[in-house]
Amino acid sequence: MSTFKVVVSNIQQITPLIKQFSFIREDGASFPPFSGGSHVVVAMNINGRLHRNPYSLMGSPQAPDAYHIAVRLQEHSRGGSAYLHHEVKVGSQLEITYPNNLFALDKRARKHLLVAGGIGITPFMSQIDDLIRTKANYELHYAYRSQDHAAFTSALKEKCAERVHVYVESEGLSIDLKALLSKQPLGTHVYVCGPNAMVVALIETARSLGWPENHIHSEQFLAPPSGEPFKVKLAKSNIEVHVPAEMSMLEAIEAAGVDAPYSCRGGACGRCELEVIRTDGVLVHQDHYLSEADKAAGKKIMPCVSRAKCQSLEINL
Amino acid sequence: MERGYWIRSKPVYSTLVWQQQANAHIVLVEGSAGGLAAMKLFQQMHPEHPTKVLYARNPVVQQDLSIPLSKVVPDALLMFETTEESLVAFEAHLSSACMGLRIYVAGSERFIWQMAQMADKYGIDDSDIIKELVGTLARPIYCVHCKTISYEAHTNIKKCDGCGKQLFVRDHFSRRLGAYMGLMVDAEDPGQIPSIEEIYP
Ligand code: FES
Repeated sequence: MSTFKVVVSNIQQITPLIKQFSFIREDGASFPPFSGGSHVVVAMNINGRLHRNPYSLMGSPQAPDAYHIAVRLQEHSRGGSAYLHHEVKVGSQLEITYPNNLFALDKRARKHLLVAGGIGITPFMSQIDDLIRTKANYELHYAYRSQDHAAFTSALKEKCAERVHVYVESEGLSIDLKALLSKQPLGTHVYVCGPNAMVVALIETARSLGWPENHIHSEQFLAPPSGEPFKVKLAKSNIEVHVPAEMSMLEAIEAAGVDAPYSCRGGACGRCELEVIRTDGVLVHQDHYLSEADKAAGKKIMPCVSRAKCQSLEINL
Repeated sequence: MERGYWIRSKPVYSTLVWQQQANAHIVLVEGSAGGLAAMKLFQQMHPEHPTKVLYARNPVVQQDLSIPLSKVVPDALLMFETTEESLVAFEAHLSSACMGLRIYVAGSERFIWQMAQMADKYGIDDSDIIKELVGTLARPIYCVHCKTISYEAHTNIKKCDGCGKQLFVRDHFSRRLGAYMGLMVDAEDPGQIPSIEEIYP
């Protein structure tokens, strides 16, 4: 995977829990433009262990002088967000991948309905630039817990004016999904990013109202869940890798020095798919990518978030 | 036609069946065969959501189903003499419709794709329209030479309405044009026209 070496050029505390990091390239060159909704994967060396987390790019996709990401300090951080919040300073060096877009705006849409919950606002920060530039018809509905979490609200109000609708939960406001999704003009596409419950509720509401699948877009990066330790046998490399409880299978494979494909590292893109040769236990699928049928068949696994409950698992890598 | 050979661009039609997950329904039918497809649809059930039926009586009416239809769905039925009038009403409906509207079409290929093109203008993909081919297999033909679309091709070879060339009616279909490709049949051997047979009755 091609990467950039970057230097942190600016850090802003946006809310008590969210920091925005700006990166410039170490070689001084400019970054390539990207499309709204793209993310990069940030690599961090934490106590000798490589962590890679995906973050949406914010800011103008057209002429990026710098790349910007916003990071929420996670309560049960596996290290990534805590490391960025506590260890990374202006001048720190990091490595990031080229932008990749799993949450692109659909050009055929007659209207774009953006629905964000909390830190899920980040992919929309770049999409909005694209929407404004192309004079597209859009509406943004942004919900968060309390004024303390009002990341980017004033910036958004300035940019989007009456097109942004804010819901502060502590003030008793929440998005009425059914009402919102029942009155959208034909040809609308809906995009949702936020906590799992919100994403699931939106998708189900849209489906039940008769929205076709291809008009519903969502992005959700999962943090690799921990689980029981197990062993993976890599058939092609002919080595056995131990996957500890708090490491993902993908991380363990990488730590063993084997290159495995990946893109989002959050169970969304399908890039990391591996073929299962055999297992003496069960696969614990946690991704959003494989179909239910694939999950049941047990022939494929997404090692960025999924694990196995077994003594050993053999995969074709 | 080669056996076991399948052209991906060729549309596949199904039977009209209500989509349970919906906000509203619109049923667009053509001629007596289309009217019957609508009757069959209401045999399944009367949906709980707002429903409209646009019936274009169209060409040669063998059996006018407007009376039984008006008995079955008195308040939902709008009747038109031609596809064009039906299209105008469809567009009016689309322009004020909300997401969740399910679209059902039954008629000839010409009719189906005229409706699909109108829906496309409002951001709805033809794959989200339930389509039933009824009445005739007549194909709309797009002349790749003069770009005219001729309708009612019942035979394997048909004279182009635009340039008069004898066109071989192919299986390749363009969703954008709503027509099958037609290629000059005697391009290599002028005047050599294979026998013309009715295969799209
Ligand atoms: S890397 Fe995207 S699903 Fe695993």
